[in-house]
Amino acid sequence: MEQLGLAAGTIVAGVFGCVAWFWGANLLLDTLWPPRGPDAGRNILRANMIRPWLFVGPAVLFLALYLVYPVLNSAMRSVMDAGSREFVGLENYRWLLGDAKFRESILNNLLWLLVVPALSTFFGLLAAQLTDRIGWGNLAKSLIFMPMAISFVGAGVIWKFIYDYRGEGQDQIGLLNALWTALGQAPQTWLALPLWNNFFLMAVLIWIQTGFAMVILSAALRGIPEETVEAAILDGANPWQLFFRIKVPQIRGTIAVVWTTITIVVLKVFDIVFVMTNGQWGTQVLANLMYDWMFRGAPDYGRGSAIAIVIMALVTPIMIWNIRNARKEMA
Amino acid sequence: MRDAFWNGIAALMVVTGPAMAQDLAFPPGKDARFNWDAYEALKATDLSEQSMTLLGPWLGPDKDLVESVVAYFEAATGADVQYSGSDSFEQQIVIDAEAGSPPDVAVFPQPGLAADLARKGHLRPLGEDIAAWLAENYAAGQSWADLGSYEGPDGARHFYAFPFKADLKSLVWYVPENFEDAGYEVPRTMEELKALTEQIAADGEVPWCIGLGSGGATGWPATDWVEDLMLRLNTPEEYDAWVGNTLKFDDPKVIAAIEEFGWFARNDAFVAGGARAVASTDFRDSPKGLFAAPPQCYMHRQASFIPSFFPEGTVIGQDADFFYFPAFAEKDLGQPVLGAGTMFAALTDNPVAAEFIRFLQSPIAHEVWMAQSGFLTPHKGVNAELYGDPTLKKMGEILLGATTFRFDGSDLMPGAIGAGAFWTGMVDYAGGKKAAAVGAGIQKTWDTLN
Amino acid sequence: MGTIAGTRPRLIWAVNLAALILVLLWTIPTFGLLVSSFRDRDQIATSGWWRAPFAAAQTGFVRAGAAPDQVQEGGEYVITGTVLEAGQALRAWGTSSRAPAGFAPGEVADLGEGRRLSVAPDGRYRLSASTEFTETRGMRIFVTTSAPPRITTENYARVIGAEGLGRAFLNTFTVTIPATVIPILIAAFAAYALAWMEFPGRALLVAAVVGLLVVPLQLALIPLLKFHNDIGLGKGYLGIWLAHTGFGLPLAIYLLRNYMVGLPREIIESARVDGATEFQIFRRIILPLSFPALASFAIFQFLWVWNDLLVATVFLGNSADQLVMTGVLRELMGSRGGDWEILAALAFLSISVPLIVFFAMQQYLVRGLLAGSVKDG
Repeated sequence: MEQLGLAAGTIVAGVFGCVAWFWGANLLLDTLWPPRGPDAGRNILRANMIRPWLFVGPAVLFLALYLVYPVLNSAMRSVMDAGSREFVGLENYRWLLGDAKFRESILNNLLWLLVVPALSTFFGLLAAQLTDRIGWGNLAKSLIFMPMAISFVGAGVIWKFIYDYRGEGQDQIGLLNALWTALGQAPQTWLALPLWNNFFLMAVLIWIQTGFAMVILSAALRGIPEETVEAAILDGANPWQLFFRIKVPQIRGTIAVVWTTITIVVLKVFDIVFVMTNGQWGTQVLANLMYDWMFRGAPDYGRGSAIAIVIMALVTPIMIWNIRNARKEMA
Repeated sequence: MRDAFWNGIAALMVVTGPAMAQDLAFPPGKDARFNWDAYEALKATDLSEQSMTLLGPWLGPDKDLVESVVAYFEAATGADVQYSGSDSFEQQIVIDAEAGSPPDVAVFPQPGLAADLARKGHLRPLGEDIAAWLAENYAAGQSWADLGSYEGPDGARHFYAFPFKADLKSLVWYVPENFEDAGYEVPRTMEELKALTEQIAADGEVPWCIGLGSGGATGWPATDWVEDLMLRLNTPEEYDAWVGNTLKFDDPKVIAAIEEFGWFARNDAFVAGGARAVASTDFRDSPKGLFAAPPQCYMHRQASFIPSFFPEGTVIGQDADFFYFPAFAEKDLGQPVLGAGTMFAALTDNPVAAEFIRFLQSPIAHEVWMAQSGFLTPHKGVNAELYGDPTLKKMGEILLGATTFRFDGSDLMPGAIGAGAFWTGMVDYAGGKKAAAVGAGIQKTWDTLN
Repeated sequence: MGTIAGTRPRLIWAVNLAALILVLLWTIPTFGLLVSSFRDRDQIATSGWWRAPFAAAQTGFVRAGAAPDQVQEGGEYVITGTVLEAGQALRAWGTSSRAPAGFAPGEVADLGEGRRLSVAPDGRYRLSASTEFTETRGMRIFVTTSAPPRITTENYARVIGAEGLGRAFLNTFTVTIPATVIPILIAAFAAYALAWMEFPGRALLVAAVVGLLVVPLQLALIPLLKFHNDIGLGKGYLGIWLAHTGFGLPLAIYLLRNYMVGLPREIIESARVDGATEFQIFRRIILPLSFPALASFAIFQFLWVWNDLLVATVFLGNSADQLVMTGVLRELMGSRGGDWEILAALAFLSISVPLIVFFAMQQYLVRGLLAGSVKDG
């Protein structure tokens, strides 16, 4: 009971605190430099210089403390030895370049980056478009969304029942092998098949992320003004043209957002690999490799942090692209 | 009036006293087989109003068991011990220690991690007197004392971690009646074991169930195999050299042990599901093949904990049993036993923590757990009659009768090897990679460690 | 749109069919887990979940009675009993693990030394011997039976009956709700500023948010817990709320900003011309229009916090009054995991709440549509 009170109290305090901050700060700004009277012009200008910072202030504070600080901390550790005691320069990065597992991880990550965002977005778009046009759309949406609601441990078990392998002649408990053997083939150890196993792991992430893409894209599709669609239909556009020529261009921005978000999820992908193969049979990825070095056995923060920095460096192209977009919007 | 008040207090104490004792698994003083003297002696230490935190890897039923032991410490000293278990213990202890909020005492399932934290200065030395006590009072005591001694931040070796609770790894599980039906005998030497393996295969049956799958830790069961075989092909000194990497991973001796494992695991006729099933079968599902009808396999080499994954209702000693993973008769290496132990280490200067470690030395701490289930101890001062079931007793005998006792080598190697390259290397080996290439690969990783 | 599509019945069929296929593909894996959650551990490990609804042929053994069960019948020592459980039908039986189905029901097996065993089709067996039985343990009679499908709710009973689950449920809510609400509020303001206010460094800030999206959580754990310890916050609810807020902010800001940027410029500019303050614009125009985006982020953040175990164990601790649901469920699985049946049941219990949230939020996603059409009018 006491705890419920505490939680409720926090929500109220948090919400009120936030509102009070934004509202109070605004009020203060307006009192200091009232947007009327003789100096109105100058005052508005001044207030407008400060106001954005009031709005982004709390967020910047949180980001700095909870994300930027750990990143700087890791950057520092990445040039130090295993126990973060001595400065070793770029030794950890040099080691990375020579490490076979690291090369494997980079290649796998690139493969994931090519496949997963594209397919997730595609299926998400498909699901959004289809479910918006059928009577049982909400039910269908919920079912496609369901994988997102399952914890990764649950997902691990779910896919165990898909990919599991039993020797020839035994009852297969993995669905894929059951189908495969029904076709008269010998059962396969799916997760141990070189190269292919990466795709089997990707299937899991696509399965999860499609729900995300669908929800966001569906909201965007519904936001398309009716007139443009009706005009196209009057012009005799068939459903395909309607979808690809009229609708998709209008939600291009949202598609980019979904693509970017899933790309970042892929860069960080850890849980699925950790639970299902732990990077064995050539399925290692960067985030799991980092985890291995940071927490397994005798941790080596230097190497773990160096891998983390590489992961973050990989996002640079996306950042640059976003800066350019933001500049364009401003213009 | 005043007297009445004190009488009331006394009455309350009488009432609460037995109530507390009832929480203990075995009421003190009742069963004469226990060392109650040790418990009574503990009462001299008064730690009431004091508390400590204990972090360990045990969850579920294991958590109840460790708490039943801790209860005696609490009842005798009045201290309050907060146990919490975590299935990501390794990660949590590292984070907590680094961030400056460590538990008072931690239970390390792997000595390698304890050694690493000791080197970084997160563990408190327990005192050499306890190490000396171990050498004296544990079977193969010196090796247990060594297991808990690590380099400190000053570079000198100190005794940091107290081994409590042992696991036995050199066991082969089988179904005695299946052996009877087929007319097989329990092998007493490695030569016999290999002959039996060939005979079962010749009979058109499958001798072994081997599964290396373990989610994020896939591969570890194979490291146990290789370690056990190392001890059967080489001297204990060579084993130690291998663990310390003075005997390199690509040494012919190590390659030979890996290939010996391959003799069992890489032969389609010897393992259930064929050789390629080995790496992808989950170790928890693997023993189930013993109990199929007709049996999918006849033998399963695994540590003492595995019965928890047998089908429900399996009675050990009747429906399933185990024998010692035997040594080669032609090599004069005695009866080597591979095992593992959990290590208790103090991370703070909390006086309760020191008292708690001292409590673990008393026979009663061992006896309470062994009288329940799943606990083996090399403590020579405990009453072996107390083992909860005959199976544990039989294992205890193997443990006490070992001529050589060695710890799970992968636990002692650096984490990047023992919980990394060695695992993945064995998975690659089971998948068909050459033993020499696997050994060279692991050695290469080891060479890059500073 | 509906009316237009209505003119093409074949298209409707195609759309429905395509949606059905997609839904099936996406549901089958989870459905397998659902079925498995009603089976016991041995079943899960021995046969595929799709076999669950069919009568299964199983081969196992039953122990016959031992010496104490024998009776003397006309110079013979006899042990009787049954090998079947309710609902099972006998297909074959045997006396050796090598030939577990060596005999048909009704046949008699000669065990040697004057011993004979027969198992009748109804499952009753009769073990007879000319000399007295001395074994303390009965022999194994292997039976191949077909049993009707077996479902059990025991897994759910175990999960629901777990000690401390109610408490943990409460704890989880205590963690989840503030950890969902606070980041949304903070992010909404920041997103508005980043979308519609002009100030130097805006583009850089946007890029920084994108960059911070990729920060792997694992690397932040040690520095942040250390920070909490240093400022005296230690482990507790406040700490975990702050941590989740920090970790959730980049995605929140990113999603919300991108949504807000897409809102029609005219509305905001006309409001500015009308003399509305930024705060008023935000509250009266932006917030209501952004509801779908707010709702979708709320769903994601809620899910993430709900399913999280890592952040909870690091920032909250493991004692009973702080254990979250995922923690209790992990404890149920025991130290070595592998209890697939428990996992299956708990996965379903724990997704029920997020799914309810999703259903509830779907209303708001629709309301967003209405708000969107209002804006054009």
